[in-house]
Amino acid sequence: MTERQKKIRNFSIIAHIDHGKSTLADRLIEATHSVESREMEDQILDDMDLERERGITIKARAVRLAYKAADGEEYTLNLIDTPGHVDFNYEVSRSLCACEGALLVVDATQGIEAQTLANAYLAVDADLELVPVVNKIDLPSADVGRVREEIEDVIGIPAEGCPAVSAKTGQNIGDVLDAIVNDIPAPKGDENAPLSCLIFDSYYNSYLGVVVYVRVMDGTLRAGERIKMMSNGMEFDVVEVGYMHPLGLRRTDFIAAGDVGYITASIKNVSDTKIGDTVTHAEGGAESPLPGFKEALPMVFAGIYPADGAKYNDLRDALEKLRLNDAALSFAPETSVALGFGFRCGFLGLLHMEVIEERLEREFNLDLITTAPSVIYEVDLRGGERVRVDNPSNYPPPDEIERAYEPMVSASIITPTDYIGGIMELCTDRRGIFHDMKYIDTQRVELHYTLPLNEIIYDFFDALKSRSRGYASLDYEPAGYVESKLCKLDFLLNGDIVDALTFIVHEDKAYGRARKIALRLKDNIPRQLFEIPIQAAVGSRIIARETVKALRKDVLAKCYGGDITRKKKLLEKQKEGKKKMRKLGTVEVSPEAFMAVLRLDDES
Amino acid sequence: MAQRQNKRLGIYVHVPFCRHKCSYCDFYSYCPRDTRVYTAYVDALLSHMKSYKTVGADYMPDTVYIGGGTPTVLPPEELLRLIRGIKSSFRLSKNVEFSMECNPATAGYEELRRYRRAGVNRLSIGLQSVNAIELSALGRIHSARDFGVCFREARRAGFDNINVDLMFGIPYQTLDSWAATLKFAVSRSPEHISLYDLKLEPGTPLCDNASAYVFPDEDAEYAMYTFAIEFLERAGYRQYEISNFARQGKECRHNLKYWHCEEYLGFGPSAHSYFTDVRFSFKPSVSNYIKCIGGRTKDEMTDEYEEIPMRERLGEYIMLRMRLTEGIDSREFMRTFGKDFGMTYGSKLKKYIDGGYIVGSGGSYRFTPAGMFVSNYILSDILEFDADGHFAM
Repeated sequence: MTERQKKIRNFSIIAHIDHGKSTLADRLIEATHSVESREMEDQILDDMDLERERGITIKARAVRLAYKAADGEEYTLNLIDTPGHVDFNYEVSRSLCACEGALLVVDATQGIEAQTLANAYLAVDADLELVPVVNKIDLPSADVGRVREEIEDVIGIPAEGCPAVSAKTGQNIGDVLDAIVNDIPAPKGDENAPLSCLIFDSYYNSYLGVVVYVRVMDGTLRAGERIKMMSNGMEFDVVEVGYMHPLGLRRTDFIAAGDVGYITASIKNVSDTKIGDTVTHAEGGAESPLPGFKEALPMVFAGIYPADGAKYNDLRDALEKLRLNDAALSFAPETSVALGFGFRCGFLGLLHMEVIEERLEREFNLDLITTAPSVIYEVDLRGGERVRVDNPSNYPPPDEIERAYEPMVSASIITPTDYIGGIMELCTDRRGIFHDMKYIDTQRVELHYTLPLNEIIYDFFDALKSRSRGYASLDYEPAGYVESKLCKLDFLLNGDIVDALTFIVHEDKAYGRARKIALRLKDNIPRQLFEIPIQAAVGSRIIARETVKALRKDVLAKCYGGDITRKKKLLEKQKEGKKKMRKLGTVEVSPEAFMAVLRLDDES
Repeated sequence: MAQRQNKRLGIYVHVPFCRHKCSYCDFYSYCPRDTRVYTAYVDALLSHMKSYKTVGADYMPDTVYIGGGTPTVLPPEELLRLIRGIKSSFRLSKNVEFSMECNPATAGYEELRRYRRAGVNRLSIGLQSVNAIELSALGRIHSARDFGVCFREARRAGFDNINVDLMFGIPYQTLDSWAATLKFAVSRSPEHISLYDLKLEPGTPLCDNASAYVFPDEDAEYAMYTFAIEFLERAGYRQYEISNFARQGKECRHNLKYWHCEEYLGFGPSAHSYFTDVRFSFKPSVSNYIKCIGGRTKDEMTDEYEEIPMRERLGEYIMLRMRLTEGIDSREFMRTFGKDFGMTYGSKLKKYIDGGYIVGSGGSYRFTPAGMFVSNYILSDILEFDADGHFAM
């Protein structure tokens, strides 16, 4: 280990959502005087508006802090912030591999939650030194002793005497910095060995091209050298290397084994710099890549359409811009009879989908119609061919199907014991297979289930929250495909199938889902001059039926005292509303009504 | 000196006062605490009318309508002063239709006789319903009995042209109770009957408390409407407009001016006018009106002001004519706009004709009763608007 390496500490912060990870990062930046206090903003690492508003970290970030420790030595602390959501587990695991240690932040009032555990396991898998930090000790209901015990019992790491802080007030933040220096090992690695750098994040900058965040495991990299991405063999000339200051990039002459830094090399697409990939020299580089690389595969798919059909090109441009910074987002053009031209988009998960939708609407000012999310089904056809279906309306007809498979997840749910009954009932209802239940302490348990992913993406979070008064937490990871009895559920308005409303459901769920959606259609479709039959069908079998009665009354009876203007305005407003209507076959439906039918946020 | 013309004109005078504001009403009216406002207001109206002396010289108004509010809330002396003032401000036609609104229990025989003698020859009485529960939901302060007395005394006072206002879609109303109201009204044998479908207007007490009431649903209201059309037809009242029914020759000529796009001048706050190709209205404020008239700053009392160019007139023509059972006459349409109505709108009309909402025969297009009751839906489909909210051709 070189003298340089001895002064470096690479660490990340892992926590359940809302346990104060970003606030702690802010305090660390402040306490090391890395940013002048007048430049300080809350959640400085979360620089997307959306992240600040929701208090979540969507993309991983990294910063370098300079800290003068009690021993008088100056240390370089590289903090790698990780996304705290299950959708981004792979990104978390790569970020962790760039570190030697992690701060495990636990809320002193809440204790360990599902994501605390999931992330702690990821950190342990990555051989990291875990430093527990009990946060929010300023709250009246804080119970530091209990939470420390819980950490020792459940995760199995010593927590007695671990830092107990208030990231909000800054109380005891010094303890955390000392623990980082004293407890987290310095990085190893040979500066003279062939270069291998782990990519843990990248983003597109319109001046620099793609900025690649790396942890140098071995070797040294300088500007001007030619590099190669080991997963795809693409080569680039390095323009700049450096480190990440909290307020921006700072270039340096080189980055070397043990460093966390950035590379720019006039790279045009983030998809060329895949997270988890290894960067090495084009000549005389490493022989084998670092382990653990995976392509980020979308798990959840939905059709996204512009509410105004004329905005199709705007939507495409917007998606292309977002993809510059988000290699996990995929999209391909598709056409719906009901919704016109749009895109079938793939996401890592529901949160990822929500984030993309919101960014499209906010940053690009688009009104969207989004179909219900779906997963990828695999179908063995009678002819022996296997097809993957990401759009329910493309699901093959029953007589062509030999076998069908659906993706499963292995889920961990942590809940106060009071809600076990309701949650088990929910999981059973969602076709879950129970594995075990472990007591975390006397009041809380961890439940393990295998669940079909398509049940999770259909309002599972909300159902879980409502059955546990918001206390239960969920984490899951993919668990392969299993054979399943699936069927395609179509909805017909006035006799015509509305392709955008087609669902794939398990046979046992078809009736319930059919009735629920049919009723919502009835409640949301405005009365029109003719009666509109709503039917739900599996193949040619109608399994639910509702009717929207014909419009009878839409009249202004009185034009008082010759107020013609008022009547004119009324008709104009009505006309405007009509223009926004989408034709679903012969039936006119407003975009709002369509979205209301597909909304997943209630259990009714 | 140019030859004096005798152009037709309607005069509307708004009396924005009530004894008690009805719970569904969103027209401009209120219950004044200081009754001295009555005199000041009538002064302002008369002064406002006099200012039309020059412009109005070419006109011979053939309809007058005093509406409200409740005109009969004015003290008889003030109301008489207003009636006489109208007559002296304009050259009224000999066969003028001079209407006035009146609520039961706001005028007795004596007053009614004086109004009749002063020149009012048509009375419009608000009955709305004979059912006490329905009347109370509407916040009406009279009973069916009060109406009976008022009607009898109006007849006795010499009114041989009387309209009765009725309402349907009232909370708790049923087809049976509606039939009872219709029967009662017809039994008094008025010349004219108006029936208004109750519309919940935001900001009214009825609308704000709507959840506390049980309203008849859309289908029930449709049943009430079609029942009324048939019932009144049999009783000798012909429907001539969405909400209006009359004995032969007793159609309200003043209201017909609205639907026929003829000129009318409105006086008083919130009154609307259509005069010399301009639609305009005055701000809904008595105090502002009095101030502006007194100070001769009429610009500050104008609320809406819109010149009506030809393309706008075409849209208005369709919108307003289609309210009438006579509908649109293709020949007249051609004469007025140089366009063939059937050719221009035929493709859009077809589905409504096929669906039984519009009848197109004998060179005219008109709504069926079912079409009238969804006329906004159909008109908003047929008519086009430009980006500024004007009718487009």
